[in-house]
Amino acid sequence: MIQLTNIEKYYASKGVKNYVLRLVTTTINQGEFVSIMGPSGAGKSTLLNIIGMLEEPTYGNYYFMGEDVTSLNERKRIELYRNHIGFVFQAYHLIDEMTVYENIEAPLLYKKIGSAERASRIADLLDRFNIVAKKDLFPNQLSGGQQQLVGIARALAAQPSIILADEPTGNLQSAQAEEIMTLFKKLNEEEGITIIQVTHSERNAQYGNRILHIADGVVKEDLAVKA
Amino acid sequence: MFKLNLKIALRNLWKNKVYAAINIVGLALGLTAFVLMILYINHEESYDKWSPELKNVYQIREKHDFFTPDNKEHWNEVSNSRIANLIRTKLPQAVAVTKVDNDWSFGSGYSVKTDNADPVMVNKIKDSDSSFFKVFDYQFVQGSADKALENKNTIVLKESLALKLFGTTKALGKTIKIIRWRDDKGNVLTVTGIISEPKTPQSVHFSAIMRTGTKDKDPDEPTNNNYCLMFIKLNKASDTLVLNQTLQKLYVDFRKNLLKGQEEDYEDMQKPKKLPGLKVIPLATVHSNPPYTLSWFEKLKPVMAISAFLLLVSIINFINLATAQSVQRAKEVGVKKVLGSYKSQLTTQFLVESGLQSLISLFLCIVLIEMVLPAFNQQFNVALSFWHNARLLVLIAQLVGLFVFVTLLAGLYPAWVLSNYNPVAVLKGNYENGLRGVVLRNVLVIFQFVISVTFIISIGVMEMQSRFMSSKDLGFERGNLINIKTSYEDKFADRLKKIPGIQYVATTTQVLGNSFNVPEEIKYKGKPIKLNTVTVTMDALPALGVKVLQGRIFSREYKSDTVNTVVLNEAAANLFGKNLIGQTYQKTDWEGKNNVFQVVGIIKNYHNEGFDKAVLPTVYKVTRLGGTSNTNNLLVRFNTARPKEIIGKIEKEWRMLYPNFPIEYYSMDDAFSKSLEENRRFMNMIILFSLVSVSLSLLGLFALSTFVTKRKTKEIAVRKVLGASNIQIISLLNKSFLILVIVANLVSWPIAYIIIKQWLEGFAYRIDVPFMPFAAATLISVIIAILTVSIQARKAAVTDPVNALKYE
Repeated sequence: MIQLTNIEKYYASKGVKNYVLRLVTTTINQGEFVSIMGPSGAGKSTLLNIIGMLEEPTYGNYYFMGEDVTSLNERKRIELYRNHIGFVFQAYHLIDEMTVYENIEAPLLYKKIGSAERASRIADLLDRFNIVAKKDLFPNQLSGGQQQLVGIARALAAQPSIILADEPTGNLQSAQAEEIMTLFKKLNEEEGITIIQVTHSERNAQYGNRILHIADGVVKEDLAVKA
Repeated sequence: MFKLNLKIALRNLWKNKVYAAINIVGLALGLTAFVLMILYINHEESYDKWSPELKNVYQIREKHDFFTPDNKEHWNEVSNSRIANLIRTKLPQAVAVTKVDNDWSFGSGYSVKTDNADPVMVNKIKDSDSSFFKVFDYQFVQGSADKALENKNTIVLKESLALKLFGTTKALGKTIKIIRWRDDKGNVLTVTGIISEPKTPQSVHFSAIMRTGTKDKDPDEPTNNNYCLMFIKLNKASDTLVLNQTLQKLYVDFRKNLLKGQEEDYEDMQKPKKLPGLKVIPLATVHSNPPYTLSWFEKLKPVMAISAFLLLVSIINFINLATAQSVQRAKEVGVKKVLGSYKSQLTTQFLVESGLQSLISLFLCIVLIEMVLPAFNQQFNVALSFWHNARLLVLIAQLVGLFVFVTLLAGLYPAWVLSNYNPVAVLKGNYENGLRGVVLRNVLVIFQFVISVTFIISIGVMEMQSRFMSSKDLGFERGNLINIKTSYEDKFADRLKKIPGIQYVATTTQVLGNSFNVPEEIKYKGKPIKLNTVTVTMDALPALGVKVLQGRIFSREYKSDTVNTVVLNEAAANLFGKNLIGQTYQKTDWEGKNNVFQVVGIIKNYHNEGFDKAVLPTVYKVTRLGGTSNTNNLLVRFNTARPKEIIGKIEKEWRMLYPNFPIEYYSMDDAFSKSLEENRRFMNMIILFSLVSVSLSLLGLFALSTFVTKRKTKEIAVRKVLGASNIQIISLLNKSFLILVIVANLVSWPIAYIIIKQWLEGFAYRIDVPFMPFAAATLISVIIAILTVSIQARKAAVTDPVNALKYE
């Protein structure tokens, strides 16, 4: 599904190249649950952003579902966002001026899904995440864990094949974090959604089935998680 | 999607009530000034457009120097009445030609008597000939255009006048008596038609058109001329250029013929490079081409520029505030982008938001206009209306166009900035650090302040010039002096002179409030000199209280004063040279006779027009030698503290002598204030614009300081943690803005200087460009800028630094 070859990212300043990522080569298959780990500044988020096409690599090849991402135009990329990729953020990034319901609805509107279908999908998600009672509240009226649930529900609304999560539990208390992680695991196992998360926590990484250890921009270890 | 975006927009507006209000109010202010101007332009543009038939109607303009305010040749609206006949006989295209009275500035109307009622003054009753309604396609409510003026002594009333006189519009066949001056025997006229008021204004403005018969014929003597307005209707729309060539030829032949057999023949007439001229201009362009003054468009140009500027400034503020606020929307943009929104969708969303705001502004602007329109109408002497506009559809189309224009101009840049946010940067949360666009913002704020400071300086200078004018010595005593609108008649004057408290009763052809220039050319020691002639009675100069510089003024003691003596004013004396008293000069009159005049005195220049005009070199004479004229001035000077009582007595005498005509008079003090009125009006307008401009620039500064303070939140917090005091932080923030304001001042000084110098040059009597307003404007702008910025800066300074540092 994702094929990275010799990905490099550096910033040139005063003639010196500051490498963020060096020669990263890896393949992530459909249905995997990958955790990217490493110390601060190792390049985890940059790698995730490159996978999510939010940043471009300075060098290297990236194929997403067989397509060369580096040659994609903006429209094509947006099509991928609409149909295949769901993002989950550490700071949730719900739109403050929209209610829970409207936040979940937003990606469906971009995907131009009919109103009946939209309503049923949202109802389904609200139901699944136990947030039906909260659907008319605004994000700032929710707790962090609830906001992140909405964030995930929004990411799932468009029925993506992959979810990219940047420290999804970074702002949460451990009980809530556990709930989110269990949810991810369930989504991965029951619906076969590919999940890539960046995390600091060894515990969270254990929910997945593969861990990429990164330090100083280089993949140090690529381990499978024993079930 | 649209519904959701609209919802977001409204929620956002509600969340940022204060900013939204500033934005909308600012834009509404700018729009109001602009829409008012559009209303005014529409009104001016709509002159003489009330009937499609009018496109074949032309006004005749003759080039001559009679009655012109500066004694120079102009293409005048009033032309020699003989031209009508010339056109009627020699121009086959002309279907109809009509002659009609011009608006003479003096005299407020005619006295009208219906049956046994008291006489009332009615303005703008104009005398014409039988063809008037063949040229002008008025709608007859009663009577008909063909028949109405068929006979002499008929009159056609506008509905409003019919209602005023008879209380009904069914006045056909009734008679009214029109008395044109106080001892006019009057004309009895039969009402033969009632016409409705057209929807749009007319340059030939009248309340009634009468046909007394005087306009039917021309004077018999070729040297006597009648001047009046003339209009022709052609059988089809014609090329004015070709038409005017034909007319010019006809006219030159006509002049040659007319003067044949006269001592002064055609070639002589043309000697001082006077080229006779005749042309027509389409009726639609008459209003925009007044003969002496600037057209309304030229006059309005600076105002148009200012109001366009103000609109621009308010749009700039809108952009500034919108982009300053965009930080708050950045997350929304980032998220939407990763959810799969196209950039164009985001741009549209933000454009819709600006559209929403400008729509609210537009409504607010309409409300504001409804509120200020009465005051505006009074100030500018117009009758503009928003809803009762004759061309409401055009106006609505203009407003829609304005709305689209404003929305695009105000919305595009913020929309572009917002939709260009890089989602990675935004979602990581470090989007607040950039100070991108600050340079542009600074330039915009400077620009606004340049306008405001220029305004403030201008107001200062205008105020000083006004003060100078209102306290300037007029050269005569204006207190205790009234001018009755009537010609001098011994019968009446003698009665007045008997009233105790009245010092002088006199007449002059020229006085403040009624200046009527009669040009002449004299020869002094072989040198030709152009002068303005004023005919006075013995007592006129003492009545005015003029100051004698050399020699003496007229007095009954000298017999020669009724024969050939003259008094010059200073301006004229300067043209003659030195040692004038006792000298003589020659003047050839119309019949070619050589008259000799002797100078007996020189008086100080006195004003009889506004300060924008220099006092003309003038010769004053009592004698009727060399021609005379009479212009309805009767000066009465009191030497009492109770003028009201005396005026009452004058009125009594008047009623006894002239029962059919109401008395009209004005005091010289009023005439003086009236001469300052136009300037006052202009100043009020500038003050109004300045208020809008200054408040807009303050809004702009407020927006910018908000923007910068927000972006510097972290810097401020760090400084506070390092031990900066609140005052230090406030002054830190103020410093950068003060530089802007000072730069703006430096830029506006030369601009203001040039504009002001030009404005002052419009006055023949003016102050030098003063320094004070410049210094004052700078001081004012700096103080209000500091106050405005400090509001934001204080807020930033007193917040707990922890709040700012907690993030990230």
